[in-house]
Amino acid sequence: MSSPRTAERLTRILSMLPWVIANPGTTVDEVCARFGYERGDLLKDLNLVFVCGLPGYGPGDLMDAFVDEDEVVVDMADYFARPVRLTAAEALMLLAAGLAVMSSGAAPDALASAVAKLQRVVLPDEGTVEVDLAAEPESLALFRRAATGGEVVAITYTAIGSGETTEREIEPWAVSATLGNWYVTGHCRLAGAERVFRVDRIRDARSTGERFTPPEVPPSPEIRYTPGVDDITVRLELSPGAAWVADYYPVSVVAEDDGRKTVDFSSGDAAMPARLVLRLGASATIVDGREVEQAASSLRERILARYR
Amino acid sequence: MHRVIERILNLLAFLLTVGRPVTASEIRNTVAGYDQETDEAFRRTFERDKDLLRQLGVPLHLEHTDAWEVEQGYVVSPDQYSLPDPGLTDEERAALWLATRMVRLGGQAPGPSALFKLGGVPIGATGDPLAADLGAEADALAEVFVAITERRLLKFEYRDQRRTLRPWGLVHRMGHWYVVGEVDKERRTYRVDRMGAIALGDTSGAFDRPKGFRASDGFPDAPWEAGEADVQATVRFDADIAWWARRQLSAAATVAESGDGSVVATLPVANPDAFVGWMIGFEDKAEILGPPELRERFVEHLEAAL
Repeated sequence: MSSPRTAERLTRILSMLPWVIANPGTTVDEVCARFGYERGDLLKDLNLVFVCGLPGYGPGDLMDAFVDEDEVVVDMADYFARPVRLTAAEALMLLAAGLAVMSSGAAPDALASAVAKLQRVVLPDEGTVEVDLAAEPESLALFRRAATGGEVVAITYTAIGSGETTEREIEPWAVSATLGNWYVTGHCRLAGAERVFRVDRIRDARSTGERFTPPEVPPSPEIRYTPGVDDITVRLELSPGAAWVADYYPVSVVAEDDGRKTVDFSSGDAAMPARLVLRLGASATIVDGREVEQAASSLRERILARYR
Repeated sequence: MHRVIERILNLLAFLLTVGRPVTASEIRNTVAGYDQETDEAFRRTFERDKDLLRQLGVPLHLEHTDAWEVEQGYVVSPDQYSLPDPGLTDEERAALWLATRMVRLGGQAPGPSALFKLGGVPIGATGDPLAADLGAEADALAEVFVAITERRLLKFEYRDQRRTLRPWGLVHRMGHWYVVGEVDKERRTYRVDRMGAIALGDTSGAFDRPKGFRASDGFPDAPWEAGEADVQATVRFDADIAWWARRQLSAAATVAESGDGSVVATLPVANPDAFVGWMIGFEDKAEILGPPELRERFVEHLEAAL
């Protein structure tokens, strides 16, 4: 297998050439901006193209590729006048991303027309690929606006297990959709730290009118749990039917054998992994982790009490 | 790296212009860069190059070199090679680029290669406070996507059974990807991340999609509505979480309020496993009232845990 970098570089060359051919007179700056080149790398690639061409490989067989004054010139390369078609993965990624952002209601008009044009070239029929993010909770628009404008939001948050309700002021940084749920990430003034809230568990949200200064480096919008020092860890053995857990949650896989996986799952409290263990039923076993085992077993008793 | 790139550019230029299938040995003797000393060294280099071409999206096929079907040679048809021009404006490219920055598939944001093919984009503003993670099954999804676009049969394992589906479409819903299609004249929906040992049928155009088909039509609104069972469940949700349960119920559910603030909902369940998992999320604040089989299944599931 060749390195992904070779493939990336070739894709860029095979995309840059058609664009230069279709836009004679284009400048080094424009090609660099459009294809993410540093000037020196563009010159290197043009020099490579310059020594390639058709069998015979004499002056009349090789491509012309050079910089004249500040103009990029490509000639004798008509067979590379069109870019390579998209791979299935590329086409799907573009479509899925476009459709996802459109379904969120945050899309610029240009995205809708871009997706429509793209669909015409990569899909046989309209409607064969559709993306719906989780239905947007009512307050999502408020959080999105607050994140863009740097506005403090007061929320009423209910923890499902304990039923405990708290009033908090948060400084929202970003909203995101993961696994069918919407989350808002930001600084929680009650906790004095970064927190992620599931938006559908926020019972009520009100704009306070107060402003905050958003962090200079916007945090990564991913919902990825970063283990902390006080974390509780549970080691689970997952049968093949529960192996998806390793993809969905930020676990570390410690062993893998014939479809069975052993993973370490860390979290801030025992409630979340306890619920997960019960959801997985017979397809997961706790190998190690007293606290989670106790939490799961007491949760199970509480639930089953309603059924006896 | 630049020797590989030169060789690939020469190979591709040759294949795109030669206009007939060419054998590996003709390539070896004609194209610059294949001056390996031994047959084995050539074979290894050529195999790697073919992989690389396919990775780029180049449609490299084998065809017979003559009517007697004695020898096979490699073909890249210029028509199939070229990306049809979708005619995007720079503004549209920028919007697409931004969308790919906001969305993750297979655990990562894609590189810019796809956008380069579409004409590149001056990369500027980012920072819309919106992100979406579309799950982690990128490889399987790409295969399903090929099956759908080329109308090939899709064979796979699902719950320990081998199945063959005519895949009509693909939907992302409630955090998961589903393929929608037909098995034995019946419409079926499968979760892509649960599909194993995926294989594609050999012939393209193996079936027709129904006219006006939309993948999301008739698609269930809640995960427990996707499946083959047909049960009406009755559930009590306690007063302090009733608001949260109601937010999650689909239009197919009916809800009756009690004086104490709790609600009793009746909802269709086609996938009892998904339903059981969803119910556990309510901990002891909800109870399945009926039917008895579903209640029993829930209890059995819990008892089997730990």
